[in-house]
Amino acid sequence: MALDIDRYHSVDSVVNRWDPRTKIAALGILIFSIALVKTLPMALVGFAVAVLLIRLTALPWHFIFHGLSFVLIFLVPFFFIMPLSYPGESAFEILGLGFAWEGLRLATLIFIKAISIVLVTYAIFGSSRFDISMLALQHLRCPKVVVQMLLFTYRYTFVFLDEMRRMHTSMQARGFIARANMKTMTILGHFVGTLLIRSFERTDRVFKAMLSKGYQGELHSMVEFHSHGIDYAKAVVVVVFSLALVVGDFSGQWPQAVQGWY
Amino acid sequence: MHISEGILTTPVWLAGYAGTAVLAAVTMRKLDMEEVPKISVITAVFFIASLIKVPLGPASIHLILNGLVGVVLGWRAFAAIMLGIILQAIIFGHGGITVIGINSLMLGGGALIAYMVWQQRHRFSFKKRELVFGALAGAAGTISSGLVLAGALITTGEEFYAIAATVLAAHVPIMLIEAAVVGSSAAFLYKTKPDILAGRRQTVKEG
Repeated sequence: MALDIDRYHSVDSVVNRWDPRTKIAALGILIFSIALVKTLPMALVGFAVAVLLIRLTALPWHFIFHGLSFVLIFLVPFFFIMPLSYPGESAFEILGLGFAWEGLRLATLIFIKAISIVLVTYAIFGSSRFDISMLALQHLRCPKVVVQMLLFTYRYTFVFLDEMRRMHTSMQARGFIARANMKTMTILGHFVGTLLIRSFERTDRVFKAMLSKGYQGELHSMVEFHSHGIDYAKAVVVVVFSLALVVGDFSGQWPQAVQGWY
Repeated sequence: MHISEGILTTPVWLAGYAGTAVLAAVTMRKLDMEEVPKISVITAVFFIASLIKVPLGPASIHLILNGLVGVVLGWRAFAAIMLGIILQAIIFGHGGITVIGINSLMLGGGALIAYMVWQQRHRFSFKKRELVFGALAGAAGTISSGLVLAGALITTGEEFYAIAATVLAAHVPIMLIEAAVVGSSAAFLYKTKPDILAGRRQTVKEG
């Protein structure tokens, strides 16, 4: 389970050197413009840019593919369900179900857009340290309390994951085998309850330690952000491209996916 | 259980963001500094508990546990789930950036409904009250999330009706498993550390 998204933040690349604030803002705009796309050719252009971007971050492929595999599980069924359930004319029949090309086109569009957005997300958060990304979010007017909770949660996730693994090992050592019956559910309920209590008591101690060190609801950081001309230049390139993507999509050159109430 | 990126039309996911902003603002009012770590703990546990697999026939499913978050955090459950969704979108690409709103609304809204169900236990008094109402809350959390998910798919377009129906049907076994796990968890917590549960009534006995 690859939880440490920032594992490769120290690699030197164009994206890694980019100031996190302008990076998140510009690539965020790119994500939303890809989400707005409704035509296949423009989605493919967006995909090409996402791939180019992920190449520029110099993140290793196996790391990216591992992340994409979670998304693929959700998306692949669409290729089977959409063409067969699409209302309207169908080209031919499979097992008594009408196969519509329009459905396949919609499934492809969804697939390409989703993969592109996940790639851009990886480019954003894979290219700088997680806590620095979060601080950058705070500089971009994300509420302080939300940023703090995200940081705490991220840290706790690793701690509790270890705790959970230890508990699981001890359960197995005592002969627990998960089956589809009521007993397993009860044991799992107790397992989750115990995990909650242990985690809770541990963070209570951590919180008291933080209080005694002067925590007053604010985290101080030594990180300073600097944006130079090159950072803004990168942002301008990305934003202009994002606008071009949306404009190209609305230009009416290509047939749009017909979805619900457009 | 997530809506993936790229499926919903723009008005639907924008509406998701709007709804989440409103619910987050309402449920996070007067947030105390001491609550920040507590919410973070529950979020982290919720986050990793979704990695627990439960065998179901030949396949296995993941626990959702949004009902349990409601039972433990009360109204603050919405914030916890929203944070979990944001982290999942960032770390796994699970769901996605544009669907953070609708996914928070779906699972967080389910947690709030679970809490409302959980609070009804005060009207009754019997031996296994926490077990029964925990189970009801777990079921309510799952099924209301399933309904929001199906609703989002249906408002997106006619071509998603079949998927919406499939999704709702798939929620029935998930609901039963969630009910069993959340019920037993709530009963366990009531026995071992009752002050962790939300919505207790303080009764001071005289004498």
